[in-house]
Amino acid sequence: MAVSGFEGFEKRLELHFSGDDPIIRMGGLRQLDFESIEEILNAVQCTVVSAVGNQYFDSYVLSESSLFVYSTKIIIKTCGTTQLLKSILPLIQFTSELGFMMSECRYTRGNFIFPKSQPYPHTNFNDEIFYLQQQLPIHLCYRKASVMPSKFISHSWHVFTACNEESNNDLFTVEVCMTELDRVLARKFFKHPNMASNEMTEVTGISDINPNALICDFVFDPCGYSMNGIDGDRYSTIHVTPEDGFSYASYECVGSIYDDPNDIINILKKVVQVFRPGTMSISTTSTTNEVWTRIAKAVEPLGMKCRSCTMDDFPSTGSVVFQTFTSCRK
Amino acid sequence: MAEGGQVFGVHTVDEWHQHLQKGIDNKKLLVVDFTASWCGPCKFIAPFLAELAKKIPTVTFLKVDVDELKSVATDWAVEAMPTFMFIKEGKIVDKVVGAKKDELQQTIAKHISSTSSA
Repeated sequence: MAVSGFEGFEKRLELHFSGDDPIIRMGGLRQLDFESIEEILNAVQCTVVSAVGNQYFDSYVLSESSLFVYSTKIIIKTCGTTQLLKSILPLIQFTSELGFMMSECRYTRGNFIFPKSQPYPHTNFNDEIFYLQQQLPIHLCYRKASVMPSKFISHSWHVFTACNEESNNDLFTVEVCMTELDRVLARKFFKHPNMASNEMTEVTGISDINPNALICDFVFDPCGYSMNGIDGDRYSTIHVTPEDGFSYASYECVGSIYDDPNDIINILKKVVQVFRPGTMSISTTSTTNEVWTRIAKAVEPLGMKCRSCTMDDFPSTGSVVFQTFTSCRK
Repeated sequence: MAEGGQVFGVHTVDEWHQHLQKGIDNKKLLVVDFTASWCGPCKFIAPFLAELAKKIPTVTFLKVDVDELKSVATDWAVEAMPTFMFIKEGKIVDKVVGAKKDELQQTIAKHISSTSSA
């Protein structure tokens, strides 16, 4: 392993808000002006590189990962040595100016490859929890933190949730972290001169993962790739750090528990084929067992063997199931 | 009517048709930004587009609010914002969906050079 390199593993923050109907109908949190968004991202230490929106939400590709803004929900995912949790204070301030109150907070991340490079409050999970506890409004009284292990030191799942009431949510979230990418496939994420970003999206097979999604992509120089997919009210997002020794790719999407269950199976199969990782972890957040039970069925036929499966329940958020797989070629 | 140097807001269907007709007459490249007041990515790209308009007076830059001119947005099948349509002599020659600075600039360059070589 390299002594130090780019930290691919992201930190992810999902915040839900409640507000009055008339404000929500007028776009809700999407009314945040761009200066406020820049200020929030400035606190995290990243910037917007490309963006697209539709009638349901705004999506931003960041210099370090992604931001999604819905009328009552914000998701920020950042990699490298960004200070994601520093977004909470400006977010609370700007959203309360619009008349919104936070109702739920979810923070998740994997295991950093270079933990010693992380700045405060990301120095370790205890520091992160302590910081979250201090920053979050006291009315989010149901709080829980958990580290979900696997058989591998390189993959474990850190979860913190806080909410003010139990709510029912039909959406599920799937977060995939992949390491030791196939070297030949990883080379496709190095930029050629004059290469358009959509060219990389095509040749890597990313455009086939969900052909219905509109993709907003960005290619980094000399290597690295990010994209946000928008398909109606659903987002998906991919981030790739292809350098040998610390190669990493992530895939994340949301779905509804009422969707055709084959959809998520087909998507995960294609994700495995795009990256052929040596090790992958899949975290599923859902209020039902319908989703996670299908995941092994999706990836095992492609030579990924399930090595561990851990489950934990969180108030309002539902169950988080953390599964790890390794390639049979290992 | 629109002169070079800035992004012109189009507020009525009549104005829209006048701009299209003018583009046919003067054979200038039209770059149309389909935008929405509630769309964050549109606010991100707006200052950049204004800069481009200042720098490239040979291109006509227009801005259409999809809520204000719903029929135009529907006719031109605009689903995501911002969408940039590149129009020459009344026909769509290219499209950039999303606020992507490099791609926007490259696409303008491509169509300016194909005009001058024609």
